[in-house]
Amino acid sequence: MTYYLTTLGVYAGVDIIACLALNLQFGVSGIVNFSFIVFQAAGAYTAAVLALPPDSQNGGFQHYVFGAQLPFPIPWIAAAVVGGVLSVPVGLVVLRHLRVDYQAIAMLVLSVIANLVITNARPFLNGAAGLSLVPQPLSDRFNAYSPTYLWAYVAVTFVCCALVFFVSQRIVKSPYGRTLRAMREHELAVTALGKNPVVLKMTIFVVGGVIAGLSGAILVGFITIWAPSTWLYPETLILFAAVIVGGRGNNWGALFGAALVPVGFEEATRYLPQFGPPGLVPALQWVAIGLLIIGFLWFRPKGVLPEKPGRFAAATPVVGARLTKEPGVS
Amino acid sequence: MSPSALEPTAGSAPATGTGPGVAPQPMMTVRNVERHFEGMRAVDGVSIDILPGRITGLIGPNGAGKSTLLAVLAGTLPASGGTVTFDGTDITEWPAWRRARHGMIRTFQLPSEFAELTVLENLLVAAPNHRGESLRGALLGRRYWIADERREVARARELLARFSLSAKESEYAGSLSGGQKRLIEIMRALMLQPRLLLLDEPMSGVHPSIIGEIARYLEGLRDGGLTILIVEHELHMIERLCNPVIVMAQGKVIGQGSMIELRRQREIVDAYLVG
Repeated sequence: MTYYLTTLGVYAGVDIIACLALNLQFGVSGIVNFSFIVFQAAGAYTAAVLALPPDSQNGGFQHYVFGAQLPFPIPWIAAAVVGGVLSVPVGLVVLRHLRVDYQAIAMLVLSVIANLVITNARPFLNGAAGLSLVPQPLSDRFNAYSPTYLWAYVAVTFVCCALVFFVSQRIVKSPYGRTLRAMREHELAVTALGKNPVVLKMTIFVVGGVIAGLSGAILVGFITIWAPSTWLYPETLILFAAVIVGGRGNNWGALFGAALVPVGFEEATRYLPQFGPPGLVPALQWVAIGLLIIGFLWFRPKGVLPEKPGRFAAATPVVGARLTKEPGVS
Repeated sequence: MSPSALEPTAGSAPATGTGPGVAPQPMMTVRNVERHFEGMRAVDGVSIDILPGRITGLIGPNGAGKSTLLAVLAGTLPASGGTVTFDGTDITEWPAWRRARHGMIRTFQLPSEFAELTVLENLLVAAPNHRGESLRGALLGRRYWIADERREVARARELLARFSLSAKESEYAGSLSGGQKRLIEIMRALMLQPRLLLLDEPMSGVHPSIIGEIARYLEGLRDGGLTILIVEHELHMIERLCNPVIVMAQGKVIGQGSMIELRRQREIVDAYLVG
């Protein structure tokens, strides 16, 4: 039971972090990043190969690069850095010249290509079999299977959630966040007001990549395995569903959506009685996710917790506040 | 027609910003500008000057290339040929955002409000050189940028008062009427303290009572020294506000001068000023 609850807690934390990152990119800035899971995977693989010993150990049953066996928290930090660094070339190619709908298609294609490449390039990251026996953080000092360690891992995950939430709130509540929201509404108008949309999009895309990389590192450090089958492109759609249901543009909405869709909804449907041919129930889970997205976009497009407008102190009357003579106002 | 023909001889609108008998230096010089779409010449060798402190009108039938020319001048569409000079600097290759930072702000033919931002937020987005408008500024927190924010909020509220929209500051811009959205666009542009305002049909789809208001605001801005280029179909407003007026048809400039002069030219009357 402890393992189930702590696993659920870590997954919830990772999903919250991922949804906050996707909310910054999609909810606030309007970047339809259908390849989000790739950045999470990049972070997970980075943390894994930096924590793992050289692949000649463990009988050489898996093949991967690096195998640096670096101590915690270096693999996590490196994962976040790699997530951000990977965002630069992807953003420069996709975000600079393509229209939003083509950006979405390009991101989706990128997600599929990345998964296929990693699956088939076995010497790089052990191909379809993926990486296993990834050392848990500080497992050389503590018993990584003790309940205390598991709960401590959950606590660290939620500390990371709090940190990411704090950063996300600072961004959303700032004039920078306001400009990102304006860019989402009308990119050309923002450009005509002297804002460089490429810089705006690239910075928030990199921030999202950093957070995604961190979320991957947290997850792989707990489950100790990572393979292409864990980061197929539909995983991104679940995160999109969470952000849409929760309320895009609102960090609280992203948090709520993460708790509701990837955690609550998926866990609840996991216990459905099996019926019909094998694979029918998991397929119906996907159908339900799709219907959830369509339903919310149709009936409640702003989500459960809609984005809130900026608040400003009430105006104080100032003598002579008007700029110049007022051209006859009727 | 040579750009020198822009000098008004008789006009219905006053010419400000010029000394007696001295031709002012153009704020913007456009030479042989072209814009092609798949071989179609939407703008075909246009050469005009925009004089400071005046409202220059740009009129012509639908499809004449007016909005395309305005987009090329603002940098939202790249020119296929020719040069655009602003304050003596060749800006032909500059992107739109750089031109805007240089003081050249445009509005759009269709309302371009930020629908899910409030009216006040719409104006604040335009605030230039705000410390909180970078990722670094955002991460450093409210203390780092609050002074700039207070200053810009005060400026935005002054503009809202000037345009009689103070009561709407907390409403979503998307919920406003067409005329109010036009005013927001103009106020947003004014937040940047522009030197040249490029207005694309600001009175299109606007209730007649608001049209008069917009015209009065534009006159006030002109009297304050702002230079404006306006694309518009409301000819009585063009006549009231603009001198000079440039007429385009099929991508070319077919005439320019005051409306009184233009009405005397048969080919222009035939092409556009019917009746």
